[in-house]
Amino acid sequence: MAALPRRIIKETQRLMQEPVPGISAVPSETNARYFHVLVTGPEDSPFEGGLFKLELFLPEDYPMSAPKVRFITKIYHPNIDRLGRICLDILKDKWSPALQIRTVLLSIQALLSAPNPDDPLANDVAELWKVNESEAIRNAKEWTRRYAMLN
Amino acid sequence: MEQFESLLTCCVCLDRYRNPKLLPCQHSFCMEPCMDGLVDYVRRQVKCPECRAEHRIPYQGVQGFPTNVTLQRFLELHAQIAGELPDPTAGQVMERCNVCSEKAYCAPCAHCEKKVCEDCKSAHMEVLRREITRINNQIRRGVNRLQDILVIVERNTSNLQTNCGAVAGEVDEIHKRLSKALKDRTDFLRNEIDRYLATELRNLTHLKDNLELELSNIQSNCDLADKYMNDDVEWEDTELVDTKEIFLKTVEFLRNFDYEGGDYNRRIRFIMTHDPNQLVMHVASYGELNISNPAHSSSYATSLQPSQGLTRSKSDHRLATQFRQQEETKSYYDNDEPILGGRKFGERRPPPPERHTRDYGVTDDYSGYESEHRPSRRFRSRFVRSHQQDNDSDTEQATRSVKSEHKEKEKEKVTDTEDVTRGPLSVQPTHQPPRRPPPARQQSEDDEITRLKRQNKGAATSQEPDRPAPRAAEEERSSITRKPPTPAREASSDGESDESLGTLQRNQRKSAATAPKPVNTTRRPSATETPTAHRVAARAASTESSASTESSGSAVKHTGNERTTPATTNGTVGGAQRVQSRFVGSQRPTPAPAPAEPAQEDSDTSSEEETDSSEESEEEPAPQRKPESQAMARSDIGPLLARSNNARNDAQDNKTKDPPAQPRYRTRPQPAEEETPRYGSSSSSYSNRYGSKPKDEEPTSSLDDDSKYPTARSRYLALKERRNRLARSKSSHSGFGAAEDDDQDEPVSPTTASPSAYLAARYGSGTGGSELSRSRSSHALKSRESSPERPVAGEKDGAALSSWARYLKSKYGSRGKDRDTSGSSSSASRRLSLGLPLRSANELASSDDDSKNAAGSPISPTAATAAVAGFAAAGSSPRSQYLQKRRLQFSLGSRGSEPGYFTWPRGIAVGPDNTMVVADSSNHRVQVFDSNGIFVKEFGQYGSAEGEFDCLAGVAVNRIGQYIIADRYNHRIQVFDPAGRFLRSFGSQGTGDGKFNYPWGITTDALGFIYVCDKENHRVQVFQSDGTFVGKFGSFGSKLGQLEHPHYIAVSNTNRVLVSDSNNHRIQVFDVNGRVLSSFGEEGSEDGQFKFPRGVAVDDQGYIVVADSGNNRIQIFHPDGGFLRAFGSWGSSDGYKFFEVIYNFKHTDPILR
Repeated sequence: MAALPRRIIKETQRLMQEPVPGISAVPSETNARYFHVLVTGPEDSPFEGGLFKLELFLPEDYPMSAPKVRFITKIYHPNIDRLGRICLDILKDKWSPALQIRTVLLSIQALLSAPNPDDPLANDVAELWKVNESEAIRNAKEWTRRYAMLN
Repeated sequence: MEQFESLLTCCVCLDRYRNPKLLPCQHSFCMEPCMDGLVDYVRRQVKCPECRAEHRIPYQGVQGFPTNVTLQRFLELHAQIAGELPDPTAGQVMERCNVCSEKAYCAPCAHCEKKVCEDCKSAHMEVLRREITRINNQIRRGVNRLQDILVIVERNTSNLQTNCGAVAGEVDEIHKRLSKALKDRTDFLRNEIDRYLATELRNLTHLKDNLELELSNIQSNCDLADKYMNDDVEWEDTELVDTKEIFLKTVEFLRNFDYEGGDYNRRIRFIMTHDPNQLVMHVASYGELNISNPAHSSSYATSLQPSQGLTRSKSDHRLATQFRQQEETKSYYDNDEPILGGRKFGERRPPPPERHTRDYGVTDDYSGYESEHRPSRRFRSRFVRSHQQDNDSDTEQATRSVKSEHKEKEKEKVTDTEDVTRGPLSVQPTHQPPRRPPPARQQSEDDEITRLKRQNKGAATSQEPDRPAPRAAEEERSSITRKPPTPAREASSDGESDESLGTLQRNQRKSAATAPKPVNTTRRPSATETPTAHRVAARAASTESSASTESSGSAVKHTGNERTTPATTNGTVGGAQRVQSRFVGSQRPTPAPAPAEPAQEDSDTSSEEETDSSEESEEEPAPQRKPESQAMARSDIGPLLARSNNARNDAQDNKTKDPPAQPRYRTRPQPAEEETPRYGSSSSSYSNRYGSKPKDEEPTSSLDDDSKYPTARSRYLALKERRNRLARSKSSHSGFGAAEDDDQDEPVSPTTASPSAYLAARYGSGTGGSELSRSRSSHALKSRESSPERPVAGEKDGAALSSWARYLKSKYGSRGKDRDTSGSSSSASRRLSLGLPLRSANELASSDDDSKNAAGSPISPTAATAAVAGFAAAGSSPRSQYLQKRRLQFSLGSRGSEPGYFTWPRGIAVGPDNTMVVADSSNHRVQVFDSNGIFVKEFGQYGSAEGEFDCLAGVAVNRIGQYIIADRYNHRIQVFDPAGRFLRSFGSQGTGDGKFNYPWGITTDALGFIYVCDKENHRVQVFQSDGTFVGKFGSFGSKLGQLEHPHYIAVSNTNRVLVSDSNNHRIQVFDVNGRVLSSFGEEGSEDGQFKFPRGVAVDDQGYIVVADSGNNRIQIFHPDGGFLRAFGSWGSSDGYKFFEVIYNFKHTDPILR
């Protein structure tokens, strides 16, 4: 693999030096393109208090293509499936090289506080979210407490 | 501040903006790699990372977006405020690596001259390391040679010591013997004296006693008589009678007694059988040290060589050169004096052995050269080198030929080795024509000396002592003349008979020797007298040329003067005048009235010489030179002269129809008489010679030049100078001037004064034998002659023959005479007289020597031979040949990529074996065809590796058959061996020395120098055959000497470099040092005008063929640039579709490009 692009180095340095509140991203020791990410559940959301673990991988042509991000911690969210895959436009066609790891993670954090059941990835969750939002929120809280608060 | 900083940060690379480009949405990104990475190539859009707006990409790509100048100013401002160090990559632009095609920050690689990425660069450095290792190995191999030489030197040292020891012993022995003999004799004489003294003393004492006794007796008798003879005493009558008788007897005794002794006369005298003074002198000089041992000299040379070689090698480190250098150094060593002049006067050493002489000559030349040129830079130094080499080669040649018997082997070896090391370069003597001559002379002198010695050993002593004086040659000559003139001749004749070459050489030498002498009056005067002579001289050797010119110009006159009124010049003054008279005489229509006799003598001598050998005939020309012995010497002087003279004579005779000429020859019969007069005038003659020679000398051996090499230019220059002096010859010259025009220097007076004569000459030359013999002359004529027609026939013959001509001449020297008489040879003679041909001949010969090929035309020896044969066969129709050239011989190929097909064939060249080599440019290969156009082989393919091409353009084949290819888009020159295997490449893209920008035409000269048209750099670069940069000339522009897109290049065998200055629509002619000599052509479609001339070629006679690409035709020009002929028109039917056409005139094969 070619040397690490300057941009990745810079982003990594900045993430370490100026961490975003509620988000931590640490590069893997064996692969500088692989990040261990922890995101706290936003306040006033069903995920509040939870600490969600994600993995983030910067592909070869980053920043020309979007990073791969996946929830490792199980989460009850209409835009995140059981495998942790995230339905977020900026990770897909709306990706822009101007975005960074930090902004991606912030977007994911925002996604937690504003689920979008109209563009679902987990259909059952989205269905419930639309039909019975309170129960969905309860489930989400439950899942958060069960999976995201263990430690 | 931080925000400010962030404003200066590209959001894609998160780095400081680098060349920020502004999108229509007003967002800015670095051009590379950020903006580049955003491009959607399929839709040719770029999507703004900030606002996601999509923008169409300009036609030129992302760099078509405007640069955000404001942002850039901010960046600069920020850099100033923050005092940051500039970004190391600032200003750098990502580029594709030219090797691996990866996008990266590339840095220029010194190896390939391309911008390459780090990885590739390191790879290249590895390559370089390997190459250095390889070269180092070569050096190691070369070092062996040095070691070998070292061993030889050591051996020589010991040899020297033993030799000197032996000689010292010999001297001691002689001393002992002499002193013993002296002592014995002295003792003997002393004894004799003693014995004599004793005997005489005894006799005298005895006598004394007797006398005393007698005295006393008589006195007593008298007393008795007085006493008794009176009356007192009685006497008997008988007693008285007896007494009376006694007294009468006594009286008688007294009367008669006469002591013969009187004063003591019987002196003993001491008479020396030899004059005591002489005896003392004899004893005082009872021995000389002759350092002629060849072995000695050689050892000397070798011993000396190494050090010098090293010193020299440092400057330009070539093993090959070292060899030469060594030789040079030897010579150097020998001669303290730097320059030719010094040499001439300065040959101080004891009569050097042959080798020595050579060396000397060589060294002198070199030293002179070097001293003159060394200071200059590399370029020069190289040239100098080459010169030196040339000189060496020349000298070698001469020496070889002369010594061929003796030392050919050695020399050859040397040359061979050189060749090997250097490849083609080794042999390159060409450029410094003027200097060579001296060596030749020296050699000649030496040779002569040696001969003389052999022949007349007795004479040798005198000669030897003389030698130390500068002009050994002269002395030798003189000695020869004094002593046994005949022997000298014999020797010469012997030499000739032995080796025609040798004779030639001798002549040359002689000429050289004569030339060297200070006097030079003859030559110089002639030169000064006849400007035309200058021209001639320029072509031929200076002296010869002058003579030739004179003869040519005033051939008739000459003949008249010399022959009919030979006396005039000759008669006027002994030898000296003669010499002048000949040269001068030719020039001067009415030389001084003078004694026809001398002239006859000269003629006689000349004729004799001629008879001896053709060479001699050449010698004759310089009648001045000799009395017979002198003739020999003179013949030495100038083979060239001789030639020219012969040529003249012949020409004159023939042309002028001078019957008188024959008479000359015929008059030869009484050599002795001639000799005597000559002897009488010998001093003068010598002076004349010398005087005449001086010219030669001045040029530094015009003779040599002529004979050897042709570097006609240098000669020319010298000649030019002389011209001024030689005002005289103009009149005579006028006719011939045209021929000389080629040189450019002289105005061509076009038309020959006597066209008819020319024609006659031509025709005459057409006949085979004469042609051969005189081929040189013919050459000259052709080249000189302005009229195209003539040149054709004569020239070809001459050109082809030139190298052979010598040979033949030497062999069949007699022919020349025949010719002369017949008049057929007249043309040849004329040519000779013109002097043009001589050069070429010389060149050829020299090349031959170098290459050892008898036939060695610089380009292709074999070709030359073939040509010779062809010419001989077709000699009679030479005239038409040029005009026939335009007839299509055949055409080759058509578009395609299979063997035998072409896609944009560009360069074409002819190989030594008559193969045609075509640069099949867009098929990226070289194809080789035989002379019949049958495909032989191909090599090369697309690429940039070794042996691969990218749109190659020019091809050249050097003398040893190597292919030299201008690999155009790879900006390099590649060299392949005759089998098409890659040997080496040199050059890379750039504008520095040794770098190229689209090299196009390429050619080599006889010495192997490679000339490359560096098209986009608007210059011509010159390399040695190993790729070492030698020099460059030309710069962008349209002035004289400037170039704009030079495409093709050709070098004539007179070392004129023709460049097709394409965008200036002209052909420019340079000398090998890059000085512009002339140019011709301008934009247009008329005859003699060009539109983007491309291919250019020059044939043996100097005729120039230009592919006038914009006019779709071929034009042929006289050597002086005068238009001769044009043919061809647009179209593909006749094979002239490609108009970079080059003719190979030698073979009469038109080649298409």
